[in-house]
Amino acid sequence: MVSTDQQEAFIRLVDQHRGILHKVCRLYCFTDTDRQDLFQEIVIQLWRSYPRFRGDAKFSTWLYRIALNTAISDLRKQRPPTTPTSPDQLPTELQDIQYSGEKEQQLQLLYTAIDRLTEVEKALTMLYLEDKTYQEMEEILGITQNNLRVKMNRIKDKLRKMTKEATYGIG
Amino acid sequence: MELDNLKGIWQDVRPGMSSGRESLLPLLQQRSRGPVARMRRNLRIELLCIIVAYIPLILFYLVEFQGRLRAISLLLLVVGALFCAYYYRKSRLLNTMQCLSCQVRSNLARQVGTLKRYTRFYLLASTIVIPAMAILTYIIFHLQLFYPGEGTVYHRLSPAPWWKSSTVWLLMLVPFTVVMYYFNAWYINRLYGRHIKKLQELLREMDEE
Repeated sequence: MVSTDQQEAFIRLVDQHRGILHKVCRLYCFTDTDRQDLFQEIVIQLWRSYPRFRGDAKFSTWLYRIALNTAISDLRKQRPPTTPTSPDQLPTELQDIQYSGEKEQQLQLLYTAIDRLTEVEKALTMLYLEDKTYQEMEEILGITQNNLRVKMNRIKDKLRKMTKEATYGIG
Repeated sequence: MELDNLKGIWQDVRPGMSSGRESLLPLLQQRSRGPVARMRRNLRIELLCIIVAYIPLILFYLVEFQGRLRAISLLLLVVGALFCAYYYRKSRLLNTMQCLSCQVRSNLARQVGTLKRYTRFYLLASTIVIPAMAILTYIIFHLQLFYPGEGTVYHRLSPAPWWKSSTVWLLMLVPFTVVMYYFNAWYINRLYGRHIKKLQELLREMDEE
């Protein structure tokens, strides 16, 4: 039985880290409904696993594991939309943030490119952008650091190529 | 686009709407809609259907017809017990199917392994259930032939010598079981095949250098 204090502590922690959850949902789902469903599912799974959280790992590491495991395992939500994501479509999570024109464009390009990556590549890219060390990435994903470096270099090349194609209309 | 240059912009991204206590609290009471939770729910529904259908039937054949068809009750009881074993095994597999707080790779490996065992067991159980029921039916009714008296329903329906009817039953069962095996394999593949394949692909991608 979970006490009210634990429930409050859990809600506080999730609220503090909700940015991570929204980003995971944004990366792994293509529609708002799917994003909302995935967000709910991750919160439910976090809550169910919370009594077993002993603090051996950082809360954020534990949260990343559950969020990514839930997102990757639920393959129904990963179907791409029938029409490709428009670069003009700004995710709802970003609506209250005003960036300068160039930054906004870069972010939109990034999202569009990430949408075309595989599920594993998305996870790696997200952790990299969150400035996680390779050791932390290994703790979350279970991929060796050497392999992570190789994969990351490949993803960077891939993203560079995709942007070039989008900018110059190649491909 | 250089990923390193985008770290700052990415980390500045904050969700527009606060999840807040009020919106998070109701989620804690909700049931999971994940694939394993759905499989677990389906299994519970299956169990409930068996209980609802079998118990009245067992009681009916036990007390009706002056107890002459008690053999059917016995048959249903045996099948019910077999189903309990089937439920227990499936339920245990589902309980170990995922570890969401584990590393992503190990969770995927666990899911692939358990799901394969789950589908193998499902195929075996669904293939043998009908031949097993047929053989049990035959044994139960055939044993009654040795009871003295007016003879059993089976004896009246099939007055041929026991070895003849046994051979006919077996000859009918073998092709039927083969057809059932292929049908079940197709059906299970349709249910879980794509999911397993996708999980294997993810695992392969994680491992390749």
